[in-house]
Amino acid sequence: MKKSTRAVTLAAFCVTAAAALTGCAGSGGKGGAGSTTLTIATMTLPQSLDPADANGSALPFFQAVYDTLLKREPDGSYSPMLATEWKYDDDRTELRLTLRDGVTFDDGTPFDAAAVKANMERFGKKAGAQAKTLKDVKSIEVVDRTHVTLKLSQPNPAMLYFLSDAAGLMANPKAFDKPGDPLKTRPDGTGPYELDSAKSAIGTRWVYTRARNYWGTRLPYENLTISYFNNETAIVNGLRTGQINAALLQAADQQAAVENDRKLSKAEQEFDFQGIVLFDRGGALVPALRDPRVRQALNHAIDRRTMLDKLRQGRGEVTSQIFGTQAAGYLKELDPHYAHDPAKARELLRQAGYASGFTLRLPRVTAIVPDALASSLQTDLNAIGVKLAWENVDAGAIRKIFTDRAYPAMVMNLGQHAVDWIGINDYVLPGVFNMFGTTDDTVRELLPRIQRAEGAQAKEDLRKLNRHLVEQAWFVPFYRMSYLHVSDGTVRVTPQSGMAVPSIYNYAPAK
Amino acid sequence: MVSFVVRRVAAGAVLLFVVSALSYLLLSVPDTDVGRQILGSGAPTETVAAKNRELGLDRPVPVQYADWLAHAVRGDFGTSWFTGENVVRAIATRLPVTVSLMVGVTLVTAVLSLLLGVWAGVRRGAADRLVQVLGVLGYALPGFLVTLVIVVVFAVRLGWFPAIGYIGLTESVPGWLSTITLPVASLSVAAVAGVSQQVRGAVIDVLRQDYVRTLRARGLPPSRILFRHVLRNASAPALTVLGMQFVGLLGGAVIVEQIFGLPGIGAMTVTYTTRGDIPVIMALVMVAVVGVVAVNLAVDLLVGWLNPKARTA
Repeated sequence: MKKSTRAVTLAAFCVTAAAALTGCAGSGGKGGAGSTTLTIATMTLPQSLDPADANGSALPFFQAVYDTLLKREPDGSYSPMLATEWKYDDDRTELRLTLRDGVTFDDGTPFDAAAVKANMERFGKKAGAQAKTLKDVKSIEVVDRTHVTLKLSQPNPAMLYFLSDAAGLMANPKAFDKPGDPLKTRPDGTGPYELDSAKSAIGTRWVYTRARNYWGTRLPYENLTISYFNNETAIVNGLRTGQINAALLQAADQQAAVENDRKLSKAEQEFDFQGIVLFDRGGALVPALRDPRVRQALNHAIDRRTMLDKLRQGRGEVTSQIFGTQAAGYLKELDPHYAHDPAKARELLRQAGYASGFTLRLPRVTAIVPDALASSLQTDLNAIGVKLAWENVDAGAIRKIFTDRAYPAMVMNLGQHAVDWIGINDYVLPGVFNMFGTTDDTVRELLPRIQRAEGAQAKEDLRKLNRHLVEQAWFVPFYRMSYLHVSDGTVRVTPQSGMAVPSIYNYAPAK
Repeated sequence: MVSFVVRRVAAGAVLLFVVSALSYLLLSVPDTDVGRQILGSGAPTETVAAKNRELGLDRPVPVQYADWLAHAVRGDFGTSWFTGENVVRAIATRLPVTVSLMVGVTLVTAVLSLLLGVWAGVRRGAADRLVQVLGVLGYALPGFLVTLVIVVVFAVRLGWFPAIGYIGLTESVPGWLSTITLPVASLSVAAVAGVSQQVRGAVIDVLRQDYVRTLRARGLPPSRILFRHVLRNASAPALTVLGMQFVGLLGGAVIVEQIFGLPGIGAMTVTYTTRGDIPVIMALVMVAVVGVVAVNLAVDLLVGWLNPKARTA
């Protein structure tokens, strides 16, 4: 009798404990329709929450707490945010901004022209990754409390984009002089949310709660949680159990894993392209690369379609151009420009005087160039007599590539921006990805025209430039990679033009 | 006893110093470009150089280490180069996750291994063979595969437990249990397989001893022989293996924390090591060394307490 009572008690305890535990399953982040919390998963770790450190895919962390001067809509157009109007002068070297009146920071400090000047001057001076975006801002003139004029040293067609991005994030200037840079972990902006430090674990989970006195239209969610993961397997599991409401999947195998899951909503977007960036077009390290025929031969050697099918399960589009589909300079007919033709490649090498080939020593960062891609490229180039020698470079040692200029080229994944000038600035003008500063007469002639013209007027020249870069084989692009925006079915995600990750304004409960 | 503890603590302090110096040296290999890692490949060279200066990386490595050590002995491990968070606070947030995992696995392993090992060692025959087969299976199955199967079956398909995330013990006890159950189960498979074999072997060895035969001949009840004599003598090898398992769990925790998206120091170690965030990595190394020294000391004391013969060894 005593034994059976004990057994019943034990069984009851087990059932209760199991019920309590399973009741907790999924409590990590139920969200979506009818929910007050949106949980987004990311594989990007922000350097800090100081706007001076804002960069690329980390922007949503900042958008939650800081507003930008301009708002970038999902289609890439601009709408008012902290600036209500903006206008260039005739020669496009002065940009006059009218600021929103009546906006204050948490401590009551008004947002005004002086705050804009203080923010932008600090952003340009701090050693942040995006500080370069304000290099053309010569001075910032406070006209009055609600008007400010940016004086540019030369026209910059991407300036409005930058004001809707990291450089446009506005923090409370009173925090700038405080010791220890408190903005790094305690952001102070005018944004739609406030960071809940008690619930957040910086580096793992950032919990934001709706700002009480937000000046603008409220976003649909009371709370926003951004969780960091270092692998997509956990993200996919979280999406399936509803603990994560939305995430971007980049790996082809993880995209395939969710493809047939009807519970999940998916939206495809192409943003990054993969290819070889030829730094040494002047032939300083590898003389052969000075000849356009050699660079064209490299392009013809690559079997893009097979690579895309085998390495990314066909998730993407083969291309020969660095301009993305949303850029004004994009030309669809250039995508298949370099067909896989080893015979033609060998003939081009022969014409250039390299019939017996040459050696190409490239750095290999395994996160970018996995074994399959490495051997595929070696096979393709070997077929035309070019010996590809990989040198493994640790991610911490990439100084060798960019500072020491030790390599003639590198396989990279790079963004295809919707704003053409950003791509030109990054890849065509002398700089990090054009480290030897090579150029030619056509580029020299086209760039100033593109720089000074309005978007539509510049289109023709942008397309001329794109065609020229492809024909001269400045790069060896392989394909644009498709990424997948996945939600647990309770959230509607609108992809953001020109960005791999959506802005925080692009999430809404699914109907 | 006191002098033993003092000697072990002093040796631990020396070990901490040596490991810290070696770790700092290895982490500061000349090729590492932390500024570039932080700012990304697109940042201009001069901005990268300014960032490296700001972090003090333009100074000789011995100077950097001396600076780090001077702060570390005062409990100031600085701030993360990448996230700006206070290192001590960052580790304090994540340590309970990993400690929950390690303690949970150790408890589960201790209980299950004891039950299985004693059962197999005493019963022998079919029971023994079953435990041995289970042990080989548990040891042979790759840890990541076991974890993936467990998460897919019990979280994704059945929905009994969360697939990812961690709820703190202070936040909700049932919540904590629900988030820790599957990770603990995943890590326990191999641990139980290993330790149960040790317990089985030790129990069989002790049961063959002359004094056990004598005790039996004197008519002592089997349960008294088992609990008072056999287990006490068999505890030393089992506890030593359990202690080694506990330390080794830090490695297993890396995979499990990644698959379950647990914000512990295992996942943190991977993330920050690949980035070269020296302040965080150094603090993690110190935590690991302190953990190893503390666990080894605890095992020695426990073995001595259970088995007086071991105190003189």
